[in-house]
Amino acid sequence: MSQRNSYAVGTGLFIVLGFAALAYLATQTTSVANTHQGASYTVEAHFANIGQLKERAPVKIAGVRVGQVSSIVLDPKQEAADVKLSIDQAYSHIPDDSVATIFTSGLLGDQYVGIQYGSSKRDLADGGTLARTKPAQQLEEMLGKFFGAGGVADNLGGSYTVKARFGNVGALTVGAPVKMAGVAIGSVAAVHADPVKLDAEVELSIDKKYDQIPDDSAAAVFTSGLIGTQYVAIQPGGSPEFLKNGDEMVLTQSAMQLEDLIGKFLVNGSPAEKKDAPAGKQ
Amino acid sequence: MTAPAAPSEPLVRIRGLTTVLNGKTIFDALDLDIPRGRVTAIMGPSGTGKTTLLKHITGQMRGDAGQVLVDGQNVPELSREKLFALREKIGYLFQNSALLTDFDVFENIAFPLRQHTRLPEVLIRNIVLTKLQAVGLRGAAGLMPAELSGGMARRVALARAIVFDPMLILYDEPFVGLDPIALSQVLKLIRTLNETLGITSVLVAHELDAIKQVADLVYLIANGKVVAQGDPRTIADDGSPWTRQFFGGDIDGPVPFQYPAGDYAQALGLAGERA
Amino acid sequence: MSARPQRNVITNALAQIGEAGLFLLTLLAAVPRSLRYVRETVRQLWFVGAMSLTIITVCGLFVGMVLGLQLYYVLSIFGGTAASGTVVAIAIYRELGPVVTALLFAGRAGTSITAEIGLMRATDQLAAMEMMAVDPIAYVAVPRYLAGLIAMPLLCAVFCALGIYGGHLVGVTWLGIDNGTFWSNMTATVDVWKDVVNGILVKSLVFGAVVSLIAVYQGYTTPPTSEGVAYATTRTVVASSIAILALDFVLTAFLM
Repeated sequence: MSQRNSYAVGTGLFIVLGFAALAYLATQTTSVANTHQGASYTVEAHFANIGQLKERAPVKIAGVRVGQVSSIVLDPKQEAADVKLSIDQAYSHIPDDSVATIFTSGLLGDQYVGIQYGSSKRDLADGGTLARTKPAQQLEEMLGKFFGAGGVADNLGGSYTVKARFGNVGALTVGAPVKMAGVAIGSVAAVHADPVKLDAEVELSIDKKYDQIPDDSAAAVFTSGLIGTQYVAIQPGGSPEFLKNGDEMVLTQSAMQLEDLIGKFLVNGSPAEKKDAPAGKQ
Repeated sequence: MTAPAAPSEPLVRIRGLTTVLNGKTIFDALDLDIPRGRVTAIMGPSGTGKTTLLKHITGQMRGDAGQVLVDGQNVPELSREKLFALREKIGYLFQNSALLTDFDVFENIAFPLRQHTRLPEVLIRNIVLTKLQAVGLRGAAGLMPAELSGGMARRVALARAIVFDPMLILYDEPFVGLDPIALSQVLKLIRTLNETLGITSVLVAHELDAIKQVADLVYLIANGKVVAQGDPRTIADDGSPWTRQFFGGDIDGPVPFQYPAGDYAQALGLAGERA
Repeated sequence: MSARPQRNVITNALAQIGEAGLFLLTLLAAVPRSLRYVRETVRQLWFVGAMSLTIITVCGLFVGMVLGLQLYYVLSIFGGTAASGTVVAIAIYRELGPVVTALLFAGRAGTSITAEIGLMRATDQLAAMEMMAVDPIAYVAVPRYLAGLIAMPLLCAVFCALGIYGGHLVGVTWLGIDNGTFWSNMTATVDVWKDVVNGILVKSLVFGAVVSLIAVYQGYTTPPTSEGVAYATTRTVVASSIAILALDFVLTAFLM
């Protein structure tokens, strides 16, 4: 009988181990781990664009998790998303002029709300509103950061819009960077087909800082690397007149197709960037 | 249980048993009686269904027609519960012993007790050791079946078969593959169990010499029927062609040397030339 | 022996599935009778479950490690190594955990169930139980079936835990992905119902039910010869593998 009892004990251990593993996985590696249990208070923030932000996404200060997004609703009057943040009571001394920003963890990670402290002496109260917010950055901008030479210019200083017509924009999307000399100076504000001329009309939103672009400059749709997203590159011309808000760029070069790009890789070998060399070899 | 049959009745009474397996007739209206308290041997050429007959008695197989009455109950008509209740009173010794390889000798013999009773451990131990002592293997209680010789395994299986003191023991080829010493031991056990406990015994075997030592009655089965029956010491001399061939070991006779087949010459493709 | 036409292979397969289905009904009908053999179920749980822990642990660890390594190389191209925690967890919970555990279970426990029952049949042990008025379906088949059914989700949970640990070991400890990012991305994305419950519980329960049924059925119906047992053991592995992968597709389509 002792033989039988040892089976029973071993089997019992096995069952306990299995259920422990299951419980651990279910509670520690899933969103259940983020479900907030302690006391918390709620503040509101209005974002122009929340991107992929979801309920239960983390709220972080200096990268440390302090709470989570409890609800997201659209405020139709302001054309803005009303996001409620549930923040742990332990972090109750957040200045009321702090800035809430929607960040993305890594390139492929989920989005979260980051709070950067302001300088006000008054603390944010329960039910209060974070007045200063920055909306979610588009994936295209993120990709631009990774693959492009420089970052996307922030539009805080205001921008002006010029138009450009392309026979083919390839995969150019709204939000793609506009670059001059490899440096981002703005972004694509709109891409739409012209029903009459049967080409693509692209609106480029360019930072006001760069208001001395010659009006005979050329716009081209380029691709950052083999698998990167596309962006608009501006090659300055020699005219003494500068582009103004609402102007149209005359000289344009359309997007090259992927087939052309691959052809380039195969024929000419790898481009300057070493990172792409393995892809080129194949 | 239904009322047991009168003591003078045979324990097993088979009437008109007919069984067809895969198109081959195994039993053809077989009649056979097994008397109480005696040792009955069933003999016959290979393939005549001797083991199949034992399976009919225990209800492991059912015939297509006929009655198999065991202690007054018709086995083919029994419900599962009643059949299992009947089997608790029947011991069965398998040709290859069929010990449970998971358990040691002790647990093998204790197995039926544990399954069907809630006896205290002390009592189970006493019963098992008594049965092991009866077959002379009390010292082997801790061995696993794989560690036993063929003869020992058969004695353990016998101890297991008698653990409930059954009214009937069926031995399937109990003498096969035993050396002369083990053979004598098994013969003595069969005789002793029959004499001391009054257990009715049925054994299926080929060995006439061994059967002469233990059996009171012999049935010779061939072609699905009983072709001869009687005292084992005299049955060989009853004059029928079946017994003459079987006990004389003749190559040809009522049991043909050739398995039934088509024309030999035709099978070889010689039919044309012969014509 | 002339080659049989294709049609017979399909007919045979259908016949096998049908017989296995009927056998399942026999098993289920015998479950109440088998309740008195709880000890036997516990003993079988030891053999098919606890004794499979070694292979499950080692394989889970290596699957997680190789996943961590591959993801690091692929994701670093995109600068997305932070997502490796998420991808490791989701890949393991949804697919690798249940599927690999079931395949290993078929190879480790399924074959031994088939071989054991087949040998019990070949050596008349099942007939001996019948003769001792013990129902072999209730005593032999059902406990092994139930043990397989119970063991699979537990083994799968252990496999997943070790897989995550392996992915963490390679990604974070060896290749230097940030520990906090690894966990926070995982906890932010992995859903307890969609990933953990569907993967570990639903999928592996179904796989456990199917693999155990195939193993017990093949053992119970094998011809009582050593050749028959060998053939049945092979068939357990082949049929289980096909069933696991085919069912995985069906389940994924239904659950996701």
